[in-house]
Amino acid sequence: MRRTLAVLVGLIALAGVASAQPFVWPQKWTVAKPSEVKRGGTLRAAVISDYRTFNPFITAEAGNVPEIISGGRGLVTRDPTTGDWIPYMAESWTISPNKLEITFKIRKGMKWSDGKPITADDWIMTWRIHTDKAVGSNSYDSFFIDGKPITLKKIDDYTLRFIYPKTDAEAFAVASFEPWPAHIFGPVYQKDGAEGIKKMWTLNEKPENIVSGGPWLIESYRPGERLVLKRNPAFGEWNKDEAGNPLPYLDRYEIKIVKDTNAQLAEFLAGNIDLMAPATVDHISQIRQAIQQGRLDATIKVNASPVASSQFMVFNWNKASDPFKQSLFRSDKFRRAMSHIVNRQAVVDIVYGGLGTPMYSSVYPVLTQWINPKVPKYEYNLQQAAKLLAELGFTKKDKDGYLVDSKGRRLEFNLSTNAGNAQREQIAKLIVDEAKKVGVKVNFTAIDFNTLVGQLLSSGPDRPFDAIIIGLSGGGLDWPFGSNVVPCKGNLHMWNKSGQCLDPRETQLDALYSRGRTELDFKKRVEIGYRMQEIEAQLLPVIYIAGPNYHPAWNNRLGGEHPDAIISSIWGQRELELTFIKK
Amino acid sequence: MTAYILRRILYLIPTFFGATFLAFLIIQLAPGDYLTQLELDPKITPETIARLRAQFGLDRPIYEQYLLWMDNLLHLNLGYSFAYQAPVLEVIWPRVVNSMVIVIPSTLLLYLVAIPIGVYGAVRQYSLGDRILSFLAYIGLSVPSFFLALIAIYVLLQIKFRTGTLIFPVSGMTSSGFEQMPPLRQILDIAWHAVVPVLVATANDIAGLSRLMRGQMLEVLSQDYIRTARAKGLAERVVLYKHAFRNAVIPFVATLGGLLPSLISGAGFVEVVMAWPGITPFFLDAIANQDLYVIAGFLTVSLVLLMIGNLISDLLLAWVDPRIRYE
Repeated sequence: MRRTLAVLVGLIALAGVASAQPFVWPQKWTVAKPSEVKRGGTLRAAVISDYRTFNPFITAEAGNVPEIISGGRGLVTRDPTTGDWIPYMAESWTISPNKLEITFKIRKGMKWSDGKPITADDWIMTWRIHTDKAVGSNSYDSFFIDGKPITLKKIDDYTLRFIYPKTDAEAFAVASFEPWPAHIFGPVYQKDGAEGIKKMWTLNEKPENIVSGGPWLIESYRPGERLVLKRNPAFGEWNKDEAGNPLPYLDRYEIKIVKDTNAQLAEFLAGNIDLMAPATVDHISQIRQAIQQGRLDATIKVNASPVASSQFMVFNWNKASDPFKQSLFRSDKFRRAMSHIVNRQAVVDIVYGGLGTPMYSSVYPVLTQWINPKVPKYEYNLQQAAKLLAELGFTKKDKDGYLVDSKGRRLEFNLSTNAGNAQREQIAKLIVDEAKKVGVKVNFTAIDFNTLVGQLLSSGPDRPFDAIIIGLSGGGLDWPFGSNVVPCKGNLHMWNKSGQCLDPRETQLDALYSRGRTELDFKKRVEIGYRMQEIEAQLLPVIYIAGPNYHPAWNNRLGGEHPDAIISSIWGQRELELTFIKK
Repeated sequence: MTAYILRRILYLIPTFFGATFLAFLIIQLAPGDYLTQLELDPKITPETIARLRAQFGLDRPIYEQYLLWMDNLLHLNLGYSFAYQAPVLEVIWPRVVNSMVIVIPSTLLLYLVAIPIGVYGAVRQYSLGDRILSFLAYIGLSVPSFFLALIAIYVLLQIKFRTGTLIFPVSGMTSSGFEQMPPLRQILDIAWHAVVPVLVATANDIAGLSRLMRGQMLEVLSQDYIRTARAKGLAERVVLYKHAFRNAVIPFVATLGGLLPSLISGAGFVEVVMAWPGITPFFLDAIANQDLYVIAGFLTVSLVLLMIGNLISDLLLAWVDPRIRYE
């Protein structure tokens, strides 16, 4: 009798496993084999700024708590080894023949940490709240294409349809948002609307009331000090490694809030935190030294990849009040000459201590599969710069040694960047020096960031700046061109904010941008991207300079990092779900 | 006396409105606002930003924003933090309490150490001890506290590298696993973390206060009544402590009121460098983000405490110094 009972229990357990249909985390995402893995322990990390809310609908900063506890994954996720979208909370999907609808089959057996099943309703409610204007969610814009809404439709509890207003290269990125529990947010939303939602899950909320569908639950939070997360057992029921062990391996994930990077470094050197991404040469060399002298058992991957951001100098094409400068800044010869005076190697060597990467295109250097290798680069070459400026009529020099044209107008412009960014200020000074060598007078000032942004984003025929050094980050792997940057009406079309295309090549780029965004075939999209980079190189709307590299470091008590090939600023050093404590 | 206090309180009202309006205006004079940082995000449209600006009331004229805020203030509501989407008091209060863990012991330590040093320096003027203490005081005055904190971290790390143990933590207020500790262990843990920040926060101020005390004491010692006291044959100890010291500390009584706002205003950069979850790093963040009502609300609380503190100082002064009478 006892035996049959045991068998029965076994069968039920098996049935439970079968219906849970786990997502198996591929072995190729980690260097550790399931047999080496140890369970338990605490991962300790540090962040620079404190958290502001636990509420997924009003959170605005990068690395926010909702993103951490949910694991930042939705119906689909990306495979870091290929960059492809793979089903995650969905089991599979079908795309309609007109490519405007994607129907997802949701994985069965997934549960919220409070035991309620995760179903299509959760996505529908999450989408409703994100797209309610009164809530003010930062994700609001991601549910629209060119101002037209993307809609979600529940077919049944485990089938969900996304309907797009036009074909979209970023369709899966849209569908990858994390769901939040409808049974928690729904009743409040129905009763009190957006105002009710905004009052939920503040930092004062009791941790046990925060429901998660991801790898972590909040154990405790001390403002300005520490966030402690613990493993969500419900997550392990459907997230397994290849040997069938539930994930994550860790018991706890502890995040200290350390506002000063020197203090973070001290904690890493003292062995009190396990993860670090040092940004300056000084910090890197201190970590290296500590490792070499045997004071710290850690690993650092110097120059693992460039960072996923751009840095450039942009000239203002809208200067109605100064026709001389306006025609100069609108001339591609002038801009090419300016590209020739940017000594990118010196920027990398001096500003980034040799640990940076020169940039030549709007596609971040880390997105290697998107970079068109054949695009011409206008490298540092002062003779070439002088020659181009001579072709523009600047042949003579005045008594101060600066170039003047036939009417005696001096070649001079103002350059600014945000005060307090020491690296950008150094870049600007290098540009001033090199420009002087060819006889161009550059007047550099560092100004307040908000003033700078105000100038940069002002619009109309006469805008209040000559040239600005600034950077952008963000932007997808599916289509790495900015929806606000490339189109002539875009808010971040920084060189020309007259509201219309002024150069035929801008019109061309604008059209290619839209074509690429609606092209679903990756290869064709890359071809369009290649073509865009060629046109950009001719037009040089902005002059790309250089950026720092990503240098992840970790204490060797951690195992389960990514294989070297996928350690990068895009994929990071590891999946926390696959990370474990060796000792 | 009561009439005087009432009059003083009446004077505080225009000061309060003037100061809060000025503070509000100056914060608003800075270019941009809380939402400017979103404008360089390629994923967010200008329409969304305009909508948020309207929701936060940042599109209204400044005087209107001020009046609305004042209205809330009179209902004892400091306003709402944009960044935290929560009432200001709710987000600043825990930070203020954390700061007090450093500020209160550091203030006590300051008076306990600085006043004896100052008295010693005055009584044994130009002795070897006075010269050494003066030299240290000048160093203390000239080294900024954040730098002192960095040196402390460096020394702690070097000791750790040599011996393998951290005598004091390099940052933070509590150890991991704090929540699981029994209450007594929790108190000890915070105290252990507070030692270095308290010492660093006190070091600078000791220098200033002891120099001030030394100067005061020297001045009093050169007064005629001290000569008289000595002439009539009083013991030197009585001359120093009963006559000179009591008169020399009177100006310090006037500074006691100033301690009230400093109780909540945090321990300064040492909090940033040593990752102490106090009000300073929080307030710096608020300024950087232009989280308007957090800055304005916090300034208002400091202002009120300063006004009350000043009043208390004046009353204390009248109490200890028979030469001062308010009628």
